Amino acid sequence: MARCEALFDAIVDGKIADAQTLVGERLAAGEAPMDIIAGTLIPAMDEVGQLFQDEEYFVPELMMSGRAMKAAMAPLRPLLAAAGAVPAGVVVAGTVKGDLHDIGKNLVISMLEGSGFKVIDLGTDVTPARFVDAIRTHQPNILCLSALLTVTMLAMKSTIEAITAAGLRDSIKIMVGGAPVHEKFARDIGADGYGVTATDAVSVARDLVSVA
Amino acid sequence: MSAPKPIGPRRQRVLDALAHRTPDKLPVDFGGCAVTGMHVSVVAALRDHYGLDRRPVKVCEPYQMLGLIEADLREAIGIDVAPVFGRTNMFGFDNTNWRPWLFNGLDVLVPEGFRTTIDPETGSTLIYPRGDTTARPSGRMPKDGFFFDAIIRQGEIDFDHLDAEDNLEGYTLLTEAQLDAIEADIAAANTGEQAVFASIVNTALGDIAFVPGIDLTDPRGVRDVADWYVLTKARPDIVHAIFDRVVDNGIENLARIHARVGDAIDVLIICGTDFGTQTSAFCSVKTFNSLWQPHYARLCGWIHANTTWKTFKHSCGSSERFFESMIAAGIDIINPVQCSASGMDPQMLKDRYRGRLVFWGGGVDTQETLPFGTPGDVRRQVLERCEIFAPGGGFVFNAIHNVQAMTPAENVVAMIEAVREFNGG
Repeated sequence: MARCEALFDAIVDGKIADAQTLVGERLAAGEAPMDIIAGTLIPAMDEVGQLFQDEEYFVPELMMSGRAMKAAMAPLRPLLAAAGAVPAGVVVAGTVKGDLHDIGKNLVISMLEGSGFKVIDLGTDVTPARFVDAIRTHQPNILCLSALLTVTMLAMKSTIEAITAAGLRDSIKIMVGGAPVHEKFARDIGADGYGVTATDAVSVARDLVSVA
Repeated sequence: MSAPKPIGPRRQRVLDALAHRTPDKLPVDFGGCAVTGMHVSVVAALRDHYGLDRRPVKVCEPYQMLGLIEADLREAIGIDVAPVFGRTNMFGFDNTNWRPWLFNGLDVLVPEGFRTTIDPETGSTLIYPRGDTTARPSGRMPKDGFFFDAIIRQGEIDFDHLDAEDNLEGYTLLTEAQLDAIEADIAAANTGEQAVFASIVNTALGDIAFVPGIDLTDPRGVRDVADWYVLTKARPDIVHAIFDRVVDNGIENLARIHARVGDAIDVLIICGTDFGTQTSAFCSVKTFNSLWQPHYARLCGWIHANTTWKTFKHSCGSSERFFESMIAAGIDIINPVQCSASGMDPQMLKDRYRGRLVFWGGGVDTQETLPFGTPGDVRRQVLERCEIFAPGGGFVFNAIHNVQAMTPAENVVAMIEAVREFNGG
């Protein structure tokens, strides 16, 4: 499971075409999909996360690396599914009702996917009922709720209440995030985790899965 | 040209604060521009509170659904600034021929061009660019929502084959009729009673509110906000080409306006691009200095060389790291001074930038204290911020960004009363 430096650099530098080509080459050389992911892609996204934490990378760089990661994963996903590979965890994510913003949510999704999680994206303006349905359908380990607006962050609370009322609260961990959200608010509404940034969300998700 | 500039006590108060002199009282702005306003529902609640004429409030900025703060409410609040907006709004239609519209149970007035349909799938309200319902809608408000958001109307982008011209539609020279309207509106605002705050020419450099082109029937170029962020990294040559033209066009239009109104304008908003996030920034200072600062410097350089206008820059979030570069570029005023973001401690900001940068905002937190605190919490925070920011001028009271929908009226009133208390009643 040796690290492929060129592929690692392509992800860190956000070079989509290079990432696609290099993954193809690794597969053609007989490297197992899971080895490519665990040996190169996940470490590359960890490096991106670290650069972001160190403020050497910012939102544009995070997006470019996320796109390169997505391109690299495209040919690997069907192979993983066929091999019955188990992801690091299953996540359902969405922006809560009344809120149409998705840049932050999409960044979190791209970082989670880059860290080996399988993510089901419900999009924006997601009602509590749709979150409940998605939990029943996909049986995720984690639910990620996003909101950008002060007026919509309250929908996180009603979503958690709906999940509790449906008898599903004990079956999942819930993470919340978004510009107006903070640790105390997350605690007050009964969330299990709060991510300050997209990279922070990965650490929180890893912790939640490990204790689930 | 060169309209006389009458100066009454309120306008003088603002001018003193802008000149970093201690004013007679702390000046106040609400509704001066599209980032210092109040949601239409809040404006309606305040009109009720102050017992003003019961009439529907005009939605003067439909994207964020801001309400027009008319002269009677300005007087009741004690506002020292008079706004001058371009007559065409962000969705590209004129703010004229007002008609009733029911907005979440509240009777409001919207311009004739405010044409909407309901999306049968989601129940959300769709709005159309230039009021043209034959075009694809450019904005969406969720069912029971409070604002519109841009609908991204852009296909796949090939970053290797881009034409800056595609992102420059709408950046044109003002017509004589538009200049006549601006001149008339500035003349009407230039009574001497209040400082004139103008939002009249779009000189924004990469403001994501404008990137999607919600005023355009069929926008070309990079219109997806995520793609725009990537563009700043992947193709700075294209971004420079766009910014060059925006500034060229802006200076030309401002010169023509200045030839008509002279120094009647006190404050000019130049750009609303956000550089800060809640805890960090959208780019490094190095990127700011190479990609944005030269363009701000050219724009502000022209303004300062040719007018007495003060330049107003909006940038949300943790923006302090950019302030030195902004000051060097000729930016006089920063807004909204988001003290709730990382690295934006009010006392540190005042100590570090005293006499060099005017803080227009920062008066109360609109993410936590104003919408969710008690009136006592609001009073305490407003008085604390005034004590920190007011000494020696360089501060115009405003909340941190627009007062949001669902903010309790008693909290907004507590904010207004606390400023009055600070000003000695």
